[in-house]
Amino acid sequence: MSTINFAAREINCKIVYYGPGMSGKTTNLKYVFGTIPGHLRGEMVSLATEDERTLFFDFLPLDLGSVQGFKTRFHLYTVPGQVFYNASRKLILRGVDGIIFVADSAPNRLRANAESMRNLRENLVEHGINLKEVPLILQINKRDLPDALPASMIRAVLDPKGELPVFEASAHEGVGVFECLKMVSKLVLERLSQPK
Amino acid sequence: MIEPSLALYGEAFDQVEQHLLDLLNATGVRYCLMVDRKGFVLSHKEALWAPRPPALDSIATLVAGNAAATGALASMLGERTFSEQIHQGENGVLYVESIGDKALLVLIFDSSVPLGKVKLYAKKTIAQLESVLDNVGEAPKIEFDKGFSDTAGALLDDLFG
Repeated sequence: MSTINFAAREINCKIVYYGPGMSGKTTNLKYVFGTIPGHLRGEMVSLATEDERTLFFDFLPLDLGSVQGFKTRFHLYTVPGQVFYNASRKLILRGVDGIIFVADSAPNRLRANAESMRNLRENLVEHGINLKEVPLILQINKRDLPDALPASMIRAVLDPKGELPVFEASAHEGVGVFECLKMVSKLVLERLSQPK
Repeated sequence: MIEPSLALYGEAFDQVEQHLLDLLNATGVRYCLMVDRKGFVLSHKEALWAPRPPALDSIATLVAGNAAATGALASMLGERTFSEQIHQGENGVLYVESIGDKALLVLIFDSSVPLGKVKLYAKKTIAQLESVLDNVGEAPKIEFDKGFSDTAGALLDDLFG
């Protein structure tokens, strides 16, 4: 649940980009950082290895502005996608308010997508988070690849019941990046005004 | 939710601010923060003479991430917790200590400030803060109505197009 600081009248929401290694999570964040005007965002922090693979997380704070007298901010995080960094992924999921799952359209990454989705579900269960209570968006990234798998096939593997909002994206060109972020932010904030 | 959420308000918030201010004055540290385990700044005080602090959001996030990683290490090594972290540079020191399971105290100060003195006062302040946090009751219920969603939606349109 979002942290509400009554004294400072602030609402802070944590949004996490999840997905397999090299699917474009950091690219999403870099695009947001490069596009949102400086006065509405903070510095981007990247804890990455020398070859630009995320080691712990990337972090970017965004200011939405004042909603009914509450200064509303989003803290965007990415997780390290590589399989062996699961301990770090688990830590970053703590206190999550919304998730964007970034899937890779490359044919040889279908299995990695499926494993990462299963890993997300396992980690959420381990944290005692009810999957139905956390807004989850599916971003099918790298649609511009010449041999990209059909989006319907990727969706059938990751969201067989068709429950998740889905967006197609090419994050390095900025396509679909804001659409996903806007949708997850909207769902997170709507939860605040829904009766429990 | 997994992490304890702190809803500081009213008298408890004022007490926390006062304890942090007392600690700042007694020790001569530059910046004194209380952050929650999710990496959000709950309260922050800085010395009058201190230059503008670096981005507090980023500091809080990294400190909380670091504390979470250290906690995971402690558990793997059979410890309940490693409650204290000290990072000493050439010119400055970052000192982080747990305030119970709910929050972290973060102190940033020059190397010239005696570490022992900081630790001594920090422990005293932590006991006081723990007592304040233990007595924090339920947060006042705020009803966010449909107007909230509408305003938020308009702001999201402005931000993301």
